[in-house]
Amino acid sequence: MWTRVAAGVVPGFFLAAGVLGLACWSLPGPWQATIVPGLVAFPPLWVGLVCVSLRFANGVRAWAWLSGLAVLALGLLWLLEASGGVR
Amino acid sequence: MKWKAATMRSFTTLHSWVGLCAGFALFVAFYAGAITVFQGPLQAWAAPQDGSSYSLADAQQLLDGVLAQHPEAREHVGMTFPGYELAEPTAYWQDRHGNWLYATPGHLAGSPQRPGASLPELVNELHYTLGLPSVGTWLMGLVSLLYGIALVSGVVIHLPRLAKNLFALRPGPNLKRYWQDVHNVIGVLSLPFHMMFAVTGALLCLLAVLMLALNPLVYGGKLMANVGPAMDTAPMLQKADEAQPLTSLASWSTRSIEVARARGVADFVPGYLKLAHAGDAHAVVEITGTSPRALGAGVVAFDATSGALLAAQLPGSRDANHAALAAVYALHYGDYGNVAVQWLYFLLGLGGAFLFYSGNLLWIESRRRRGQSAQSRPSMLTARATVGVCIGVCVAVSLAFIAAQLLPALGWNADAGERWACFLGWAVCVTWAAWRAPLLAAQELLWLAAIVTTLIPVAHGIATGWWVWRSAAGGHGALAAIDLVALAMAVGFASLARAAARRGRSGVSDNVWALPSS
Repeated sequence: MWTRVAAGVVPGFFLAAGVLGLACWSLPGPWQATIVPGLVAFPPLWVGLVCVSLRFANGVRAWAWLSGLAVLALGLLWLLEASGGVR
Repeated sequence: MKWKAATMRSFTTLHSWVGLCAGFALFVAFYAGAITVFQGPLQAWAAPQDGSSYSLADAQQLLDGVLAQHPEAREHVGMTFPGYELAEPTAYWQDRHGNWLYATPGHLAGSPQRPGASLPELVNELHYTLGLPSVGTWLMGLVSLLYGIALVSGVVIHLPRLAKNLFALRPGPNLKRYWQDVHNVIGVLSLPFHMMFAVTGALLCLLAVLMLALNPLVYGGKLMANVGPAMDTAPMLQKADEAQPLTSLASWSTRSIEVARARGVADFVPGYLKLAHAGDAHAVVEITGTSPRALGAGVVAFDATSGALLAAQLPGSRDANHAALAAVYALHYGDYGNVAVQWLYFLLGLGGAFLFYSGNLLWIESRRRRGQSAQSRPSMLTARATVGVCIGVCVAVSLAFIAAQLLPALGWNADAGERWACFLGWAVCVTWAAWRAPLLAAQELLWLAAIVTTLIPVAHGIATGWWVWRSAAGGHGALAAIDLVALAMAVGFASLARAAARRGRSGVSDNVWALPSS
């Protein structure tokens, strides 16, 4: 069980960051306008992922899914930033 | 949606362990935090005002004196308006080494000691750092995150029975079920309040760490350069290196009220100001003020040499960043609405402390070895720690209150004395609980808490002559209320002590609360 929780804590952190970034950068208007609401949203997002991690059948799956999604989210974010798709 | 039994068991385990780890710190944070809600009245209680009032002219003199004497203050200085936290205006700035200095009318030299009583600050420090220097804030941030996890997992566990058992309170022979009912009903009914504190507490403690961590991940390293405009109101200006005198404090105050009124905030009251680059042509002043019917303070920024409006972030017209930040502070501190909101925060705060205390007791109860007089070591340890830390901090806070009254009357340093009384008293309680049978320790420490808490109004009366009836008759409702709440709390501690004694007489021998057989 604690392996699953650890998945929520470690890759969950990066996934939360990725989701937050995608939300903040893809909203209309400059990204600076959502800095504080984004920071406010981060702790509940992360805590939520820690709890969701317990829904996985085992630790390996939790780590695989959350890590995969985190790489995907952050990769997409960096791609968008690098390509100038968001401002 | 029906979740698998194994998943539910995982949530139960997560809830009980996370709750136990964070429960002690949360008890202290909520007990001290409930008191901190009334920081203003507590300030007046601990340091009686001499009744003199100060005008904007006094504040102007203070500002001019500080700027003339302290070159560092010309870079950045803050000042409260008369009557904001204290009757007297207070100027504060950082010296060359980064230490804060405070000056008041008549004490322009500046001192590292904050003016006013130190008791509210001690209780506040207990609230957000447990009294631990430097790492305390981060620790409490971590505790806030664990608290969030405990809340979500607690709701998940309780969800299947939530509707059916919402108002179930089943006193009776099954004490565990009764405590579980109390734990659930407090937890569910105050859930929005707790959710809000888990989020705002984590943010207020971990903001700097979070920004450091998220900066490279989310914001491409550009966060730090952009966070100033997102959180401050005045634009950041470089010094012009050209001397120009400031306009008057009174004009800033009047203009800020005018600007607020023009934007629909009719009852703006200037609270404090931040002044940068005083004496330079690019001097900027930010006036922060409160309005009773808004969530969070509003800020108006002026060019401090011409009085021209630079920017405003006022309730009703501010951007998302400033609205979110103001809401986080206001919701956490409970300084919106009126005194009813503060009483609600106080009661929910005490309820929260009880939630964590009952959580620890349930943790112990669910590990009880029935039919055996020897209970597990972790259970005994948790019982001792719960009694020592939780009841101990109640004793410690009351001791600090007494010290705050008696020590200045004896001519001693109140700040240092309060800290000694508080932390030494707390340490003695923890040691006592480590050594006595848990039930006896609980009973004795609860009686001790009742006695020292009863002595709070007595110490207040002896030291200042403001006995509770005199405060009440003299129209000092807040002073009288603090003394009366102390008495009510003392009655509460005494009745808990009696409940503990009843439990001892029931003579159950197969739990951690069993009395030693000798």
